Amino acid sequence: MDLRKGKNIFLAEDDADDRMFFEDALKQVAITTHLTLANDGLELMSNLETVTEPPPPDVIFLDLNMPRKNGFQCLEEIRNTHKLKDIPVVIFSTTDNEDAVNRTYQQGANHYICKPRSFELLVEAIETVLTLEMWQKPQPPKEKFVLAFT
Amino acid sequence: MSENTLSDAIRELAFQMEEKEKRASELIIANKELVFQNEEKEKRASELIIANKELVFQNEEKEKRASELIIANKELIFQNEEKEKRASELIIANKELIFQSEEKEKRAAELIIVNKELESFTYISSHDLQEPLRKIQTFATRLIADESQNLSDKGKEYVLRMEDASNRMQSLITDLLAYSRTVTSERKFETTDLHIIIEAVKDDFKELIAMKYANIEAGEMCDAHIIPFQFRQLMHNLIGNALKFAHPDTPPHIIVKSRNVKGSDVEGQKFLSEKEYCHITVSDNGIGFEPQYKDYIFELFKRLHDQEKIAGTGIGLTIVKKIVENHNGTITAAGELNKGACFDIYIPAN
Repeated sequence: MDLRKGKNIFLAEDDADDRMFFEDALKQVAITTHLTLANDGLELMSNLETVTEPPPPDVIFLDLNMPRKNGFQCLEEIRNTHKLKDIPVVIFSTTDNEDAVNRTYQQGANHYICKPRSFELLVEAIETVLTLEMWQKPQPPKEKFVLAFT
Repeated sequence: MSENTLSDAIRELAFQMEEKEKRASELIIANKELVFQNEEKEKRASELIIANKELVFQNEEKEKRASELIIANKELIFQNEEKEKRASELIIANKELIFQSEEKEKRAAELIIVNKELESFTYISSHDLQEPLRKIQTFATRLIADESQNLSDKGKEYVLRMEDASNRMQSLITDLLAYSRTVTSERKFETTDLHIIIEAVKDDFKELIAMKYANIEAGEMCDAHIIPFQFRQLMHNLIGNALKFAHPDTPPHIIVKSRNVKGSDVEGQKFLSEKEYCHITVSDNGIGFEPQYKDYIFELFKRLHDQEKIAGTGIGLTIVKKIVENHNGTITAAGELNKGACFDIYIPAN
């Protein structure tokens, strides 16, 4: 199976710098991608509402601390919406607080990236996550783990 | 005078004589009676004299008692007044205590608020301060990776120094955060195997240990009654220091030991002699320090070395001391320049 096939990616991130970092890092990942950006959770949910005709999103990246609708709320809605519930969700947050991490996994997150402090590490983290075998068949991870680059 | 008259007179005389004799004998009897009664009266009189003397004596006694009672009464009145005074003093003291108690409750409530504020400060440091710093760090890495060709040598040097400074700031924030956690976090004691903690800390430093060929040895070890996550921080800081302040020519050799001792067996500490203490030592063969600095090194932001030579925030040992205090224990440092350092920790065994 081709782990590096093109990916349709959605990102909800309220911070402009982090959106830029993510977009630029994605360009350096050797995978063709199509990125749909949202400035907060509410925008993401409306993007998902209107743009779920084929091809559906391959991965949703979610910041946690966002205005209007935060990452936890988005995750809950995604997992409770029939046509979205199987889409892999990767949390993309500054916090490495264990309670927050555990809560996202309990709510059905598939992966957790703690925002790194170097651009190279961000590229590495995104590439690692996008080429994980589990994305080929969306399923909850057998073992929870956190990619924390600090 | 006739014969009859005479005889009548004689009879009359005889009769009177008899009568007189009767009376005389009656008088004798009466007299005896009187004598007897007289004697009786004298007896009674002397008895009365005795009784009278007794009464006089008793009377005197009673007067004595009465005056004693008057004195005692006065004493009681005085004591009573004193008691009333004391009672009113106690009422005042009681009011004062109630006031103080209320003040203390107020202070306790204030402390709870301050503590909550400190917790939110902790959150602010962990999140809000780290965010812009992370951006600076990320931009610096991008400048070096993507824009180096557009920078002069001086420009590159500035970026590297900026990166250095932001990394130091990150250490500071991390350490301050760890320090405030030792103050605000919940203190849950558990009986813990120190090996587990040492293994976890070895894992934290595995790259540094490999790089410096360090040997971290767990000697004799007993279970300790500790707050596990705080003790992990303590061991992290002590072992981290031992690795950091290693002798440049000698691979670090760090020995951690612990055993239970009686208070009476410990010199130079004010311990309860019958109480058991867990004595933990962390010693190394590093650059040590001059003995006069043994207390100085535990103070906040106090460092013995130039930032250029050995990086540090000056918070690590303050955290260690705080954690030991959270365990109701004591820590002392001993060292000699270029001959290593040794930290002695005593915490109650139970």
